[in-house]
Amino acid sequence: MIRISHLYVSYRSTFSDVEAVTNASLTIAKGTIAALVGESGSGKSTLLMAILSLLPPGTLVKGKIIFDGEDILQIPESKLNRIRWERIALIPQGAMNSLTPVLSVGQQIREILSFHNGIKGLPAERKTAELLDKSGLPSSVAGRYPHELSGGQKQRASIAMALACDPDFLLADEPTTALDVITQGEIVSTLSKIVRDTGMGMLLVTHDLPLATSVADHITVMKNGLIVEQGSTEEILENPHHVHTRELIAALKVLEGGNSN
Amino acid sequence: MKNYWIKRIASAFLVLGVVLILNFLLFRMMPGDPVSSIIDPRFSPEAKEQLRKIYGLDLSLSRQFILYAKQMITFRFGISFLTQRPIWEELSSRIPNTVALLGSALILSAIIGTLLGIKAALNRGTVIEKIVLWGGAVSFSFPSFFVQLILLMCFGYLFPIFPLRGTISIPPPTGAMAAVADYIWHMSLPVISLVLLGFGGWALYVRNLMVKVLGEDFILMAKAKGLPSHNIIWGHAFRTILPPVITIFLLALPGIVSGAVITETVFSLHGVGRFLLESVTGHDYPAAGAAFYLLALLTIMSNLIADLAYGFVDPRVRFERRGKR
Amino acid sequence: MKSWKRWSFIALFLIILTAIAGPFLFGTDPENPMAPPFSKPVWLDRDAPLTRILELTEGETTKTFKSKGDPPKQFRLKGRIRFEGTPVKATLVWRTPREEILLEDLSRYSDILIDLDGRDITFKLNIGLSAFDNAMDKLMPAEGEYSLYIESDVPVASAELTATLEGGRWGVLGTDQRGRNVLYLFVMGIRVSLIVGISATLIASMIGLSMGLLSGYAGGFTDSVIMRSVDVLLSIPILPILMALAGIWGKGLWQLVLILSLFSWMGTARTVRSLTLTLRDACFIENLRALGAGTPYILARHLLPETLPLLLANIALGVPGAILAEAGISFLGLSDPRVISWGRMLHEAHSFGAFTTGAWWLLLPPGLGIAFLCLIFLDIGKFLEEMVDPRLKGGNDK
Ligand SMILES: Nc1ncnc2c1ncn2[C@@H]1O[C@H](COP(=O)(O)OP(=O)(O)OP(=O)(O)O)[C@@H](O)[C@H]1O
Ligand SMILES: [Mg+2]
Repeated sequence: MIRISHLYVSYRSTFSDVEAVTNASLTIAKGTIAALVGESGSGKSTLLMAILSLLPPGTLVKGKIIFDGEDILQIPESKLNRIRWERIALIPQGAMNSLTPVLSVGQQIREILSFHNGIKGLPAERKTAELLDKSGLPSSVAGRYPHELSGGQKQRASIAMALACDPDFLLADEPTTALDVITQGEIVSTLSKIVRDTGMGMLLVTHDLPLATSVADHITVMKNGLIVEQGSTEEILENPHHVHTRELIAALKVLEGGNSN
Repeated sequence: MKNYWIKRIASAFLVLGVVLILNFLLFRMMPGDPVSSIIDPRFSPEAKEQLRKIYGLDLSLSRQFILYAKQMITFRFGISFLTQRPIWEELSSRIPNTVALLGSALILSAIIGTLLGIKAALNRGTVIEKIVLWGGAVSFSFPSFFVQLILLMCFGYLFPIFPLRGTISIPPPTGAMAAVADYIWHMSLPVISLVLLGFGGWALYVRNLMVKVLGEDFILMAKAKGLPSHNIIWGHAFRTILPPVITIFLLALPGIVSGAVITETVFSLHGVGRFLLESVTGHDYPAAGAAFYLLALLTIMSNLIADLAYGFVDPRVRFERRGKR
Repeated sequence: MKSWKRWSFIALFLIILTAIAGPFLFGTDPENPMAPPFSKPVWLDRDAPLTRILELTEGETTKTFKSKGDPPKQFRLKGRIRFEGTPVKATLVWRTPREEILLEDLSRYSDILIDLDGRDITFKLNIGLSAFDNAMDKLMPAEGEYSLYIESDVPVASAELTATLEGGRWGVLGTDQRGRNVLYLFVMGIRVSLIVGISATLIASMIGLSMGLLSGYAGGFTDSVIMRSVDVLLSIPILPILMALAGIWGKGLWQLVLILSLFSWMGTARTVRSLTLTLRDACFIENLRALGAGTPYILARHLLPETLPLLLANIALGVPGAILAEAGISFLGLSDPRVISWGRMLHEAHSFGAFTTGAWWLLLPPGLGIAFLCLIFLDIGKFLEEMVDPRLKGGNDK
């Protein structure tokens, strides 16, 4: 269980401080998918990076992020490196530039296996092939470099990497942006299948409400750093409180209406 | 990959060809009697006639060139005007010194420059970054021989820690250990001076590249993966900038080899560079040509090695052309 | 405009002014020895006495000066005295606060050459010392007024005398191995660096510009030939070629300029080519073509103005390279020995005894001069570059 309570994040920039997240509270339980929805710049990625304690140095963070009874924001860096990826893994936004360009996909996965699980040599190669297979990639991809992969393949490689240590939680930051609709669907279904099968928890960040409603158990809506709506998917669809959510749902209905025609 | 290697080797041969042509023209096509610039005017007519034969001066220009190229490639450089001894004999004793000088200076400045550059990129705004920025400015605007003269004045004359000149003591020390120690003692100041002149530019370049790469998404990702910072810095960040670092090394290489002439002159070292200078000032053209050829060959070979290393470190080599900026 | 307040512009202006005014400031030929060789600058080693030069020029018969009583290390007096007629009694006298010393009896000569040296035993005996005494103790014993004068019963027609009281310190920057004034040499050296640096870069830029334009505009075979030559030239050590050319072609200043520019156009050619390529594809050129404008017209009217600012920045940034190359060649002793340049000064310091006498002050002025001039041009180049591409401003952080 990850329990975020009263989180404030403000970035230091040259001219003024930017308060990116204001008083956010959110819980992600194992075995469920929580979606974080909001327009661009609403502070979704910021919240996600706060969970991994990866905000740029100098950023002001207040509040608590309780994981396993400990506040992540207070844990020293060396211990954090054991939580990162072994317990909480990240599927980065876009994934376009999240793979080190000079290392092959296999090298990057094996590096994680070697450091976190101590798996090396042949077993590591076998595990790599297994992970790639699970994310829907042929095992030959292990020998390829990022520039030799398509956007969708890169995204799947990122998923394979995230699953390397069988984490308890997955943080997926808009895993499908910049992909075509068909690939988007495929990737999201791969992801939700994995999550359901293994019983891990997932926080799915997206600005795509229809996508959120189709896979998530809980939905949180953010706007300008504030959480404006929170609840189970059904609740939100049935009874949206905030104007912003209503607008989003209205847009969704129009779309669905259009589709049924 | 294979394609790339073939291309690099072919281009090395092209450069070699141009060097040979330049060398050939430089010393033969000068105004005045071509014979006098190749054959010592003080020789007796019979000796001149014989040398004419050796150099093939009666043949046509293209035949002359082929003969010349053959001689150069097999290191048959002829007889020096000044010493009357085979040039190769003179040069071969000097090559190890020049290679040792440039090699050790290069390795040391690469290591120091890289470490400092990375440190500076990781600690922006600290003393280390200032050192790197100033070191870079010095290496781009101070004449190398000036810095070397000052060092020589300080540590050869005012505080005589190092010798003022030469590669070995006279008389040479007895015993292998003593000889090695003496050699290192003589080479120290030249190497130190080259490192002082070289590390700044190197560090500045590594720093700039590192600063850029450390801001990339995949570095944040590597942190999210919980990898230790050592792995992130060396395995991801530095590994990524290695190709452009090699590229800049390639661009700097001819200048580094040129620097041998100046360094060996300042410290009066027994090397190829000073031999070139002595030959040029003594109008010993065959010797000068041979020395230039050897220096160019040294450059071409280092260039080729770096090129091949580049092929290993850059996975994109098959798709992208190097040198596009 | 604020740009003119930039330090480098002001510094360059002052330097050019000094270079032009230099010869007029000093009056004599820079090659003339002014003081004993390897004199230290006056600001160095304050305890040592200054080197003093007393000159009796035409018509003068007396020279007086005050001394704090710091005896110089050596005394020399050289020159020639002529009288109108033959004097029955004439003397050359050195007056100290204590006594009058007869340096030389000039009686019965109408024309006499003087050459006295404080270390000379005959001279010591003449002024009443033993061979083992130090003449300076007698000649300059204490603080007070000293004078050198000629006494005679006939008028002096002309007296040209130079008394050198050598103390080891002379002039703002001291003297070199031939006793020349280093400050003067330094000022004269500015011209060579400026002339060679700027003109070699200008010519190289012209070559680079034409090659780049040709390569970028013509494309195809021409392009690949030019670009391959650029690659090859960039991967050969150039200094040995420059040395050989300087050795063979002669050492004149303009030969050097030509040699330097022949081997430094490659960078400009690359830049201009890539710029030309982007501009060539820009549609306005296409339009002009459609309207039937000829190639030279297009080049002259549109490409040149677009490439010019970049070219200016390139020139400024290229000057330091040419200055350093010239200095290097001069330092190696391959420049004209009659032309005073900073590199030449370092060459002479290195080869003629600065290291056996420890005359480190001979190294600093030319070396720092070169470095300073390079920094000026680098700064101007950076400024011009920022004008062309404002994104570079404050680019240190990126
Ligand atoms: N490093 C930073 N320094 C300063 N401000 C930042 C930084 N990163 C993000 N911000 C600001 O914080 C706010 C939230 O950014 P964030 O990246 O969390 O948005 P987001 O919801 O993920 O948007 P998107 O859907 O476009 O990814 C934005 O206003 C952004 O400008
Ligand atoms: Mg985001």
